[in-house]
Amino acid sequence: MNRYSSPLNFRRLVITLTLTWLGLFVLLPHLMVILTSVLTPDAEHLVIWPITFDNYLKVFEPIYAGVFWNSLLMSGITTLVCLLIGYPFAYLLANMSPTMRVVLLFLMVVPFWTNSLIRIYAIKMILGKKGIVNSFLMFTGVIDSPVQLIYTDFAVIIGLVYILLPFMVLPLIASFAKLDRSLIEVGKDLGASPFYRFIYILLPLTAPGIIAGCLIVFLPAMGMFYVADILGGAKSLLLGNVIKNQFLVVRDWPFGSAFSVFLILLMAGLLIIYNKANNYIQHKGGLDDENL
Amino acid sequence: MKFKTLNKLATGLSVLFAVTFSVVAAEKVVVYNWTEYIPDGVLAEFTKETGIKVEYNTYESNEVMYSKLKLQNGKGYDIVIPSTYYISKMAKEGLLAKIDTAQLSNFTHLDPALLNKSYDPNNQHSVPYVWGSTGIGINTNEVDPKSIKSWKDLWDKKWQNSLLLTDDVREVFHMALRVNGHSSNSTSEAEIKQAYELLTKLMPNVLVFNSDAPREPYLAGDVNLGMIWNGEVIMAQEEDSAIEYIYPTEGAAIWVDSFAIPTGAENKSNAHKFINFMLRPDVAKRTVEYIGYATPNKAGIALLDQATQNNPTIFPSKRIVEQGEFQTDVGPAIEIYNKYWEMLKTSK
Repeated sequence: MNRYSSPLNFRRLVITLTLTWLGLFVLLPHLMVILTSVLTPDAEHLVIWPITFDNYLKVFEPIYAGVFWNSLLMSGITTLVCLLIGYPFAYLLANMSPTMRVVLLFLMVVPFWTNSLIRIYAIKMILGKKGIVNSFLMFTGVIDSPVQLIYTDFAVIIGLVYILLPFMVLPLIASFAKLDRSLIEVGKDLGASPFYRFIYILLPLTAPGIIAGCLIVFLPAMGMFYVADILGGAKSLLLGNVIKNQFLVVRDWPFGSAFSVFLILLMAGLLIIYNKANNYIQHKGGLDDENL
Repeated sequence: MKFKTLNKLATGLSVLFAVTFSVVAAEKVVVYNWTEYIPDGVLAEFTKETGIKVEYNTYESNEVMYSKLKLQNGKGYDIVIPSTYYISKMAKEGLLAKIDTAQLSNFTHLDPALLNKSYDPNNQHSVPYVWGSTGIGINTNEVDPKSIKSWKDLWDKKWQNSLLLTDDVREVFHMALRVNGHSSNSTSEAEIKQAYELLTKLMPNVLVFNSDAPREPYLAGDVNLGMIWNGEVIMAQEEDSAIEYIYPTEGAAIWVDSFAIPTGAENKSNAHKFINFMLRPDVAKRTVEYIGYATPNKAGIALLDQATQNNPTIFPSKRIVEQGEFQTDVGPAIEIYNKYWEMLKTSK
C-alpha cells in the first residue's frame, strides 16, 4: 500500500504545482488581458467599466493595416529564411553520428544562454556604418562607401532569423529523426532521381516538422518589438511595437489588449490549420492502413 | 516525529524573523531615475554618509515612469525625476506628495529663476535637479555646421534616410510647431494637425528614433545630423569632439527634470535626505561634469571651472533661452498629440 501511495502523492503534488503555476502566471494574466480588452480606456484611471467592443473595431482601422501588412511580410521572410537555412542543417544533423549530433545541437543552444537583448545589441554593432561588415567590404574593395545596413528592414530580419532559427531547427530534427530511411532506399532502388526522392518522399514525410517550425517562428516574429526597436530604428514596424506603444506611450490599455487578443486568435487559427494539414498529410502520404 | 516537525517549524520561523528583521533594520530609499542621469559613485557616497541603502532603477521616458507609478497607485518608489509637464500632470492626479522644504537645508542654493514655475507654483511637489534642451546634433566632420541653422534645415531632401529624432512625442512636435510659427505647447487640434502634416514630409529623412542614448548612433557613425539633448553632446564630446550642438533659430525645447516624491512612497524622510544630498553644491558640480546638463544650483555652478561655466552647450545665453520654449502640460490635448504621433510612426 505504502509503496504505491507515495509516488501517487508525488504525482499529485507535481500536477497541483504545475496547474497552480500555469493558472497563476498564464491563465490569470490572459484572462486579465481579455477583460481589459473589452473595457473603456480612460486617461485618469487607465480603464473604466462600461464594456465595449470598440477596441476590437479599432484593430481594423486603416492606419494599422500598413503595420499589419509589414509585420506579415517581415515575419514571412524571416520564416522562409529560417526554413531555407534550418532544413539542410537539420538534414545534415540527422545524418551525423549521435555524438556529433549532440555536440552540434549543444553549440546551437549555447548562444541562448546569453540574453537575447545583448545579442541584438551585438548585431547592431556588427551592422553599423563602422561595423565589421562594412569595414570588411570596404577593405576588400567590394564597396567604396559604407552601405546602410543598420536601421533597415534587412537588419530587423537578420536579427529575427538569428533569434528564431533554433525554433525552426528543433522540430525539423525531430521530423528527420523519425524518418524511415528505408523509404529513401526504396526510392533509389526504383530509380527515382534525387529531386524526385526529395519532392515525393522527404518533403511529405518531414512536412509536420516544417509546418511546426514555421508556426513557432512566424508568430513570435510579429511580436518581437525590441528587435525592431533596436535594429529597425524604433519606427513601428511590427505589431509588437504597436502593442508596446499602446501600453507605454499612448496608455490605451484596452486597445493594446484587444490587439494582443487578436494576435492570440490568429495563432489559434494557424494552429487549427496546422492540425488539419497534419491530418491531411498523414492521410495522404503516410503509412496509414489505407495506403498499405 | 512530532518533535522533528516542531523543530523544523521553529527553525523556519526564526529564519523568517531574521529576514524580516534585517529588512526593517536597513534604512533605504528607492530611486527611479532616467538612464545615465547621476554621476558615478554618488549613490555609494550617500549610503556611506547616511547609512541609507539606495535601490536604484532607471527608465528612458516619462511615459514609462508614469505608467508604472499610475499602475502601482504611486507606490514602490521614493524618488522619481519627471520632466516639467509631467510634474503638473502627476501632481494634478494626486500622484506626488508635498515636498517639505524645511527638511532641505540646501534648497537655498537653487537659482530663483528656475523655482516657482507655472508647472509647479511654490515648488510644492518638485525640486529642480537639472535642466537642458533639445536641439540639433551634428557631426562636423561629415556635415558643414554652417549649413545648419534651423529646425527647417532638417526637412531638406538631401538628408534622406539619415536623421535621428528623439522618440518623444512632445519634442518631435515641438520642432514642427515652431517651424510653423506656433507655440510648442499648443492645444489647438488644427495646429497639431498642421504640425503632423509637416512631419509626414520629414519622415522620409528619418533613419532612427532614439531616446535611450541618442549620442550612440552619432558616435557609431550611423547618424551625422538630427535631434539630440545638449547633455548627450557633452558626453559624446569626451569620445569625439566633432559632435557639436546647435541651437536652432526657431528655438530649442527647454525642459527641467525635477525630484519628486510619489504619494505612496514608503520612505519619505529618506527621500528628503536624498534630495538634500543631491542639492549639495559639490554634488551638483559633479552632476554637471558627469552628465553634461545644467544645474539650477548656483553654489554648484560657482565651483565649476570657467570653461564649463562658459560652455554655451551646457549653459546657453539668456537670449537663446528666451528664443526657446519651456515645455508645459498640455492637459487633455496630449491625446491629440498621441493620436497624430501614432499615425506618424505607423505611416512609414
